[in-house]
Amino acid sequence: MIDLINNVEFLILFLVGSSFIAYMLTKLNTYLGSVFTIFATMFVFVALAGFGFGQGLGVDTIIGFAYKNTYLGFYFAVIIAFIYLMVSFFHPYYLGQYKYKDSYNFLFLLSLAGILGAFYAADFIQLFFFFEMIIWTTMFLIPQGKSREAAVSYFGFSVAGSVAMLTGIFIIFNSTGTFDIANGLAQISGTNATLVFVLFLIAAFAKLGSFPLHIWLPIAHGNAPHPFSPVLSGALVKLGAFIGVLALIRIAPTSSLLVDTINLPLGQWIIAILGSISIVFGTLMAIREDDAKKLLAYSSMSHGGYILVAFSLMNSVAFAGGFYHILAHAIASAAAFMAIAAVARATGTTKMKELGGMIHKMPITYLAYLVAIISMAGIPPMGGFISKWLIFQAVINKGMIFVAIAVFFGSVGSFLYVFRPLAALFLGQEFREYKGVKEAPILMLIPTFILMGLNVYTGVFPAGILNYINNILGELGFASLNVTASSVINVYDNQGILNPAYISLVFAVGVFIAFIIFILLKKSRKVGLMDTYTAANFVHDEHLLHYSVDFYAPLERLYEKHTNWMIRFFESLAKKVKEIGKLGKYLFMSKNIGTTLLWIMTIIILLLWGEVL
Amino acid sequence: MILNVLTGIGIAFFAFVLQTSIAGINRKIVGRLQKRIGPRWYQEFIDIFKLLSKRSVSHGWIFDFGVIMALGGIIGTAMFMPITSSFVAFQDYDNFFIFVYLLAVGMLGMAMSASGSGNPWASIGVMRALTTMLAYEVPFLIVVLTIVNISGSSSMTGIQIYQQTVGNNWFIIALPLGGIVGFISLMGMLGKKPFETYIAPAEIASGPMVEYGGKQLGMLFILHEISVWIEVTLFVHLFLGGATNIVEFLIKYFAVYTLANLISNVNGRFKIDQVVTFFYKWPLLMAVTQAVIAIYFGWVI
Repeated sequence: MIDLINNVEFLILFLVGSSFIAYMLTKLNTYLGSVFTIFATMFVFVALAGFGFGQGLGVDTIIGFAYKNTYLGFYFAVIIAFIYLMVSFFHPYYLGQYKYKDSYNFLFLLSLAGILGAFYAADFIQLFFFFEMIIWTTMFLIPQGKSREAAVSYFGFSVAGSVAMLTGIFIIFNSTGTFDIANGLAQISGTNATLVFVLFLIAAFAKLGSFPLHIWLPIAHGNAPHPFSPVLSGALVKLGAFIGVLALIRIAPTSSLLVDTINLPLGQWIIAILGSISIVFGTLMAIREDDAKKLLAYSSMSHGGYILVAFSLMNSVAFAGGFYHILAHAIASAAAFMAIAAVARATGTTKMKELGGMIHKMPITYLAYLVAIISMAGIPPMGGFISKWLIFQAVINKGMIFVAIAVFFGSVGSFLYVFRPLAALFLGQEFREYKGVKEAPILMLIPTFILMGLNVYTGVFPAGILNYINNILGELGFASLNVTASSVINVYDNQGILNPAYISLVFAVGVFIAFIIFILLKKSRKVGLMDTYTAANFVHDEHLLHYSVDFYAPLERLYEKHTNWMIRFFESLAKKVKEIGKLGKYLFMSKNIGTTLLWIMTIIILLLWGEVL
Repeated sequence: MILNVLTGIGIAFFAFVLQTSIAGINRKIVGRLQKRIGPRWYQEFIDIFKLLSKRSVSHGWIFDFGVIMALGGIIGTAMFMPITSSFVAFQDYDNFFIFVYLLAVGMLGMAMSASGSGNPWASIGVMRALTTMLAYEVPFLIVVLTIVNISGSSSMTGIQIYQQTVGNNWFIIALPLGGIVGFISLMGMLGKKPFETYIAPAEIASGPMVEYGGKQLGMLFILHEISVWIEVTLFVHLFLGGATNIVEFLIKYFAVYTLANLISNVNGRFKIDQVVTFFYKWPLLMAVTQAVIAIYFGWVI
């Protein structure tokens, strides 16, 4: 007897079933369908989290797929299911405005089913099947936002990744005779292994939106429906990281060519460099972006670069940093996107130059965004600091100077771009056109508070999570990280010791002292925002006192001429493909009767020739 | 635990008193340089306490909250800093990255508060401050990478002890190029000329500080003194071999701060894009050269 509730396949089938129910209910009433979606997602997340830690989730087959429990798969699955759950709280307030709202919840639940299947898959074909399921369902969610081209771009790059992955899978099957993930990756060797390594990494880069396959990321994130952008950035790009782990860690390094001074296989070293370019490029583009959602999308690209760098360093400290970064970035990025979504719902725009002073209307949303960006910028006491610190330690220990330049640049650059929405959108002058705006409704504040709490928790008490990551490291065959029960992290035999709890405590003590000083002194007189120093000019319009357009103009001027060359490269590539297509059309699909006859004759001759021989 | 925290608070208070006094002495030195008599050495204390006692204006809760968060972050950072190689509040936990990133909390709070005032000069100042940070941090961190890689420790105490061990030089001698980069970056961190673009009193009305007065400004003055102490102390510990006793620390500290101040007083001010191009040209090149020489070739004096 299969224990139903405690089974992966049951959860997947449950999601598929409830997606149809959600479709019906949403057709009936948008609100009802969305609330049903919340409960369905919650059930799956609770079941997953309740049974999955410690590998308790059953993998018995009900209708034919084969599943496998792995620490790695579960780690990804539970993070993504959690982000889905958080985002589902936003559905009741957004779905009404979409053209095909009936299908929204349906596709949303179906893509979550795909996620579970992909991360619990035991063999490659199944992994591929569920991957395609995710891509095909999400592809129809994205165009419900601002633009249809966004979906085309997303789908184009995803398909490129899928094709690469499928080819890799076939190569593995061809040379090892198995579709099993663990065996296949372990047995493959030689030239085939190099090929699979490259092909899988193409898939990983396409899903992760890393340089040079990053074009779709800002387009899709920026134009997707507001509640779907957090899923894209917090959850779906992490699929790329999963594939990256398979390629970078599970395949034994193929090249005997070692980059001597830093002791890394050539393939891994190239990936680290590409990840570095991703970091720098994402940072620079995010700094000059005016749309808050696109800005966060570029920041996702930069963080994807960190994940790639971490997984290419071939040692357990870096891997732990990479895995922790996946979690920290998922939470922070989802929280930031959700804060922007809440603002967009209230004001109807995500353009920073059109917004200002939202903090006075939406203080809780502001705090959620603040906590999220502190984590994103890697500042203690939030989760992003722990992961970035681990990655820094690994990079320093390896002495990888050029990767370090990118890693440090991205880290300091993130202060610049995350501060931009804070200053332009939330702070500054209060605009009169948004006088009537109110704080987000209570149902939307629930996930906001949960994510805020988790951002802090991951930064203060990382021990539990790092111990789980140690399980993954053990599964992958690497030494575990040295973490004590009180969260003291010790890397490379005392080269670096971190006590996150102390940092938070000391920070709290500092703030307490500052607060005491503040409260003991004379109370200040409250004045309006327009009552400021203007060098004796009379300024009557608050828009004139709001500095938000081209915030970093002097810095942007230094590199703005060089921002388009990747897009130009892809445009010229598309042009070349079109030209080849035209040539094909001219040769084979001509309206000229003579050409057609020529081809028919040639084919017949060839066929007959085959017959004769 | 309580004792550690109390020691930390003591260090933060020591930092404030020390730096405020030395800043006062430096005002006198600069005065003599410019053929003035200069103010009394405790003039800085008088300024701060006068500001703290005055009644001021506030532009809303974020304006006040940002100041509290900023000062809190800086006090917290100072609490981790070792004064000598044996005197530190939190033994073993004085990791270098805490100082860079916990300092950033303070800066973020200040930037938030300044932007919350609604004054465009403040926002311009914050933009310039962040841009300057992007400029000086990268070369500085590359040099620190070299130091950590060589000394095998990223704890401030560990780095000091490595330099004090017989046979090892101070890093300013062992890594001469790195030492120069470190000092230039220190000038950027302190906001000394030619890198004081983000304060620029006559150009953007003191930038982030434009709207402050009274207790908020007084608290920002305290914040400034403590953060200067942290930055100069970082330089002393990283490059000058740290200190074995308090007198040694005071001498080194005074020398570094006064040198930076003297250089500052004979310089003009860069434009903000010049700051960026400057740091990404020579200091970064020198930092990378130094790192390659030291890490890949192992040539350390």
